[in-house]
Amino acid sequence: MMEQPHDLTVDAPRTWERPVVCVPVLVALSLVGGRFPSFSTEANVYVFGAGGMLIWLGLTKRVQARPAPERLRPGAVWWALPVVVFGIFEGATFFAAAGDDFPTFSRLADPLLEDRLVRSAAWLVWLSAFWGLVRR
Amino acid sequence: MMRALAIGGFLVGLALFGLVEWLARREGSKIPTLGELCGYVMRYEVGPVPVGRIGLFGFWWWIGWHFLAR
Repeated sequence: MMEQPHDLTVDAPRTWERPVVCVPVLVALSLVGGRFPSFSTEANVYVFGAGGMLIWLGLTKRVQARPAPERLRPGAVWWALPVVVFGIFEGATFFAAAGDDFPTFSRLADPLLEDRLVRSAAWLVWLSAFWGLVRR
Repeated sequence: MMRALAIGGFLVGLALFGLVEWLARREGSKIPTLGELCGYVMRYEVGPVPVGRIGLFGFWWWIGWHFLAR
């Protein structure tokens, strides 16, 4: 039997890394997370537990990572535009400390996140992005 | 008036994130996707310490705690 060269072999993702497994798991975790209101002990424990687990997975590299670029393409500077626009408004609203008259982003988000469905959706966004980072 | 300005500013910022990501995903784009940018940052290490990974994981963990727990 011929031996395969190393650079031609690709590790198959583990079962729990496949979308058919990890997407339902992320949705289930998000639905549970959406049940816990802000400032509750459960919410804090759940965020620290889920985040801690994902950080452990990411730092120990137990998940198959996508190849990272050696160099960035020159257009990377365009990412500064949304960051600066968002940063200016977040900074201005934070330092103005004008409450609801000139609210920060989190002050605007808080009433929306009181709804359980919106909260679960926010959990799904946060966990999915975290999972994406772990796989980088 | 100032409230509308803040809401509008944040919406523009979010829309710009979406616009740049869309431009990055076009064929032959010179702009990296947000995922590629994160992957590049996460390569940064100081000696044996994966500073880039720790920094991004820590930032995203704090975002979750800030919006979903506190």
